[in-house]
Amino acid sequence: MIEGAIVAEELTYSYNGLLAVDHVSFSVAEGEILGFLGPNGAGKTTTVKMLTGQLRPKQGRAYLLGMDITQHAKKVQGQIGVCFEVTNLYEQMTAVENLKLFARLFGIRRFDAEVLLERVGLAGRGNDRVETYSKGMKQRLMVARAILNRPKVLFLDEPTVGLDPTSAEAIRNIILEERKRGATVFLTTHDMLDAEKLSDRVAFMNQGKIVALDTPHNLKQKYGRRALKAKVLSRDGELEDREVPMDTPETPRLVQELFSKEKVVTVHSEEATLEDIFIEITGRGLVE
Amino acid sequence: MNPRLVGSLVQKDLSIFFRNRFFAVITVLGIVLYLVIYFVMPKSEDATLTIGLYAPAEIPAFDLLGEEGLEFEGVASEEELRQAVIDGRIIAGISLPADTLGRLLAGERPTINVFFAADTPQETRGAIEAVIQELGYRMTGQSLAIEVSEEVLGPDLAGTSLPPRNRLRPLLAALLIMVETMGLATLISEELERRTIQALLVTPATASDVFTAKGVAGISLAFGQAALFMAIVGGLNQKPLVVLTALFLGAMLVIAAGFIIGAVAKDMLSVLAWSLPVIIIFVIPSIGIAFPGRVTRWVEIFPTYYFMDTLHRASNFGAGWGDVWQNLLILFGFDLVLIWLGVVVLRRRTR
Repeated sequence: MIEGAIVAEELTYSYNGLLAVDHVSFSVAEGEILGFLGPNGAGKTTTVKMLTGQLRPKQGRAYLLGMDITQHAKKVQGQIGVCFEVTNLYEQMTAVENLKLFARLFGIRRFDAEVLLERVGLAGRGNDRVETYSKGMKQRLMVARAILNRPKVLFLDEPTVGLDPTSAEAIRNIILEERKRGATVFLTTHDMLDAEKLSDRVAFMNQGKIVALDTPHNLKQKYGRRALKAKVLSRDGELEDREVPMDTPETPRLVQELFSKEKVVTVHSEEATLEDIFIEITGRGLVE
Repeated sequence: MNPRLVGSLVQKDLSIFFRNRFFAVITVLGIVLYLVIYFVMPKSEDATLTIGLYAPAEIPAFDLLGEEGLEFEGVASEEELRQAVIDGRIIAGISLPADTLGRLLAGERPTINVFFAADTPQETRGAIEAVIQELGYRMTGQSLAIEVSEEVLGPDLAGTSLPPRNRLRPLLAALLIMVETMGLATLISEELERRTIQALLVTPATASDVFTAKGVAGISLAFGQAALFMAIVGGLNQKPLVVLTALFLGAMLVIAAGFIIGAVAKDMLSVLAWSLPVIIIFVIPSIGIAFPGRVTRWVEIFPTYYFMDTLHRASNFGAGWGDVWQNLLILFGFDLVLIWLGVVVLRRRTR
């Protein structure tokens, strides 16, 4: 019995001999949100394509909902939702027509497109052609299409990239609602805020391999360097910066010295971001 | 393959097709235009007849017939005469053996070979026999018994006069069908370029469902228009099942061409660029039917020849299954091979 909504075992894929995904293994529990982070070309999209049955792995296996995706692709695909990074809607059709088409493909008989459109903030625009929509509206419709079959596993590829704050927040709320409903969410993103706010765990992918996978908190604990940042008044009246590392044996003494010997104007603690941790682990940034 | 899913996809494809203004306009205007062209063409046949003549010995009487309005075209051999009839350059061919005059003068019955094209009307055949009798009369001054040996080259389709509009009918039907290559190729090209096919393929729909739906949509458009056109212009009055079968198999050629072009084209402009040469090549055989003698047997290398020839013979001369089954079989074979090729190209593109 395969444990977990998504299980990847030694997944490997290469394009014309170039290794894109290199023996990747991980699992995602039911109802969990996994943030999948990595720079362009790290192998994230290829991994998603293998997990969703769009690509057959060269080696290894992927199990979704306990089924081998290569053997039961269509059965699995009936129970998942995929929101692509690139907008791929039928732009000549209306939003309602787009949703109804996919509802028919999923075999949903009683489907109310308007309710779903209201949920993603597109109420009243359902009968407009998609080609008249803004980027944010199209992205919301893509998310609506991905969740119309109440998927057990939801794959979202950069769902908030390039969106205005309102649209991005609307989509974050939908992701959390889906998790609340019981869906497992596989979230591919560059956005550190999204990853931190939404993910139960995050996986860092670099050069085809997963280099770290844990909760954001644990990753920060393990790799992050916390510090106290202070602004002090110098003897000639200028403001100067001071930094005290927080996780060394010397920390108590250094803090005491800071407050006893300097005129501290402001002080605050600073945690490492996921971006910092990624750079720490891989030596490169997430956005290149 | 799931018929329910295919049905939904066909509905979507047809909806998108008719929302493309260019294709909606050429589809509706196309059928109207072709109907107008058909109905403005003469509905009766031009009475000017050119008759081929092979006469090794000089027979002066023919010059006299020429002066009376009959048009004769001399040829160098009986074989050339036969070919000219087959190619449609002449309505009939008369072959006069070298000893014709001598035997006539000696009171014997010379045999004169007359070749008719398959579609030479019965009335014309009778008129040519009368010409030969007239020839004998002019040469000897009295009515003589001449043995006329008739040979019809190709299946005998006599008995019906063929007005120009009916000769043009297969070409117009073929054009209606072939133009849909562009529509289908655009549907496929857009599906690939806009990556909507990716969204379809992560649902319970399979690649086979998607391709079948495209094929059904393409056939519906191509076959539907051509069948409607043929029904309006009387093309289904004779052997409707044979004609409809030919139209269906012709529409399948469009599917194959549409699949291949759709897979290689990047946008609507490149679809047009790829489609036009294909359409021109595909309709060449129908020119041979509309304008006999302009193209020769080399057109048989085109799959559309078997489509056009069947359409022409069945709709214009009532040719039945027994007359055209070979054509339909060859056409079906071309359909299968080309559609297989199209699916292979499409599958490579969707990977």
